[in-house]
Parts: sequence; structure tokens; C-alpha cells
Amino acid sequence: MKFNRILTVAALAASTFFAASCSRQVTRVSTDQTIDVSGNWNNSDSRMAAEELTGKILGAAWIDTHQTEHQGKKPVVIVGFVQNKSHEHIDAETFLKDIESTFIQTQKVRLVQGGKKREELRAEKADQQTNATVSSMKQFGLENGADYILQGSINSIVDSHKRQKVVYYQVNLELTNIQTNEVVWIGEKKIAKYVKN
Amino acid sequence: MKTKIIIAALAVLGGLYSGVASAQQTALLADQNPRYRESQAKYARGADSLTSLQGTTIQDTYKAYDWYEAKLERRRQNREWRHQERMNGYFDYAPSWGLYDNYYSPSINFGFGNRWGHGYRGGRSRIGIGFGW
Repeated sequence: MKFNRILTVAALAASTFFAASCSRQVTRVSTDQTIDVSGNWNNSDSRMAAEELTGKILGAAWIDTHQTEHQGKKPVVIVGFVQNKSHEHIDAETFLKDIESTFIQTQKVRLVQGGKKREELRAEKADQQTNATVSSMKQFGLENGADYILQGSINSIVDSHKRQKVVYYQVNLELTNIQTNEVVWIGEKKIAKYVKN
Repeated sequence: MKTKIIIAALAVLGGLYSGVASAQQTALLADQNPRYRESQAKYARGADSLTSLQGTTIQDTYKAYDWYEAKLERRRQNREWRHQERMNGYFDYAPSWGLYDNYYSPSINFGFGNRWGHGYRGGRSRIGIGFGW
């Protein structure tokens, strides 16, 4: 009888332990909230990079210079590649899209599509040549040519000893005049983290 | 003579018509790139494959490192490895004393572990007297 009671209590304790260890709790948080868990590149870093680089690129003199030289026309920008040379997987698209979005919202800079999306656009246009009505068919050779290309790189330095680590990230973006190859703007965002295990 | 005049007039008219038609084809819109036909021909060839993914989501994902998931995966792999070892007839996990332990000769076993059915001969050498685990 006593043994049975002990067995029941033990079974209950074991089941509670397993239930507690297997349960997963998920809490929604604000995307503006900074939560550092592992010390790796995270959404806060991406957000900070986007905010700082957007402010810098839109506040720089190259827009006014371009408008002065081109009878008030807005500069047309294409986004090139960003090279990740850091020790982590970092997708630059998260902060580049924020920058592109601000370009369009502020109406200071015009954007043209590049890369695979441009390929798809041209393929769609080619498809229209034989399938769409003449009045709705889009013509080749009438795209907006970009004046500038935005390119970038991500670098990192890791300094670690025993349980301590300092990680440094540097995100660089640069804008180059496609006609003259002249670099008209360079911006960087530097992030340093101290991680102790 | 009359027939020749008619033929010549037809030839002139045909030439004029084809000239007008080709002029219409090559007429450029305002500011249109004069080499637009090159791009058109290039994309006309691959248009089908390039537009075939329209309306779909291209899965270009990567596996992010998750410490907890990695730990579970390690445990799962270890469990699988031990299971495979057991299936290969490798039964003893605990240290045990053994004598002449191979398939052809009987084994004297002191300690823990089941030593029956040793068909597996690719692992640790267990011939002779020694301490094996």
C-alpha cells in the first residue's frame, strides 16, 4: 500500500517535470525593443544600422549637388550588392529595404529595380510583346537608367579570451556615380558588443 | 510592252510598301534606346522560365544556429549511434573483464553486460586478456 503511494507520487512528479521541460513559452515583443540573447547580430543591430545610414545618406550633400547639376532632377539610384565579410550570417536586405523604403517615402531619391527582380520585369515585358494587347504592351528600351549605385560591405572583428568576448561590426555603404565612377557618399555604422559567458 | 509596264509598276509599289513597313518597325519612340531589339530578343528567349515563378514564394532560407535545438539534435544523434551499435551486436557498455572474446571462441565474462552473439568484428579488439569497454 505504502509502496503504491510512493510509486504514484513519483509518477506524478516525473510527469510534471517532463511537462515543464517540454513546454515552450512564446511572448510577442515590440520590434523596437532591444533583446540581446547570444550576442550575435540581431534585429536591433539591423534597425540601428538602417536608422543611422538612412539619416546620413539623406542628409548628405550629394542630393543637392545632383539636383543643381541636372536642372532639379531627382537622382536615380540602383542598389547593388553588399558583401558580408564578417564571421556571421548577416542578411543586409533587412536594413537595405528600410533605407529604400525611406527613399521612396521622402521622395528625395528615385529607385530603380535591379538584380533578379529586374530580370523578371524584362521577361514579363518580353512576354507581353506576343501576348498583350498593343495598347497595354510595354516597350523595351524605355527604362530609367540609374545615376548612382549603392554598394556595401559588412566586416567584423572578434576578440575573445576564456569566457569574455568583444565583437565589433562595421557596416559600410557607398554611393558611386555610374557615369563618372566618382564616389559621392560613404556611410558607416559601427557596433561593438561585450559578451561574457 | 504593256505587261512589262505593269510588272515594273507592281515592283515599285511593292518596294515602297516594304520600305514603309520596315520604317514603321524601326521607328523609335521619344528617347527610346535604339538597340532595344537586342534586349527584346534576349529576354524573349528566356521569358517563359523567368516568369514561371510569378505568384510563388522562392524559398531561399538558411538554418540559423539554435543552441537548444543543436543540443537536442546532438542527443538524438548519440541515441541513434548507440542504437546502431546495439543492432550490430555490440552489447556491452560497462567495463568488463574478458578472455578470448571473438566469434569462434567462447568468452569468459566477469562484470556487467551481455556478451552473447558477438558477430561484430570491426570494432575494438577483444582477443586475449584485458580490460575492455
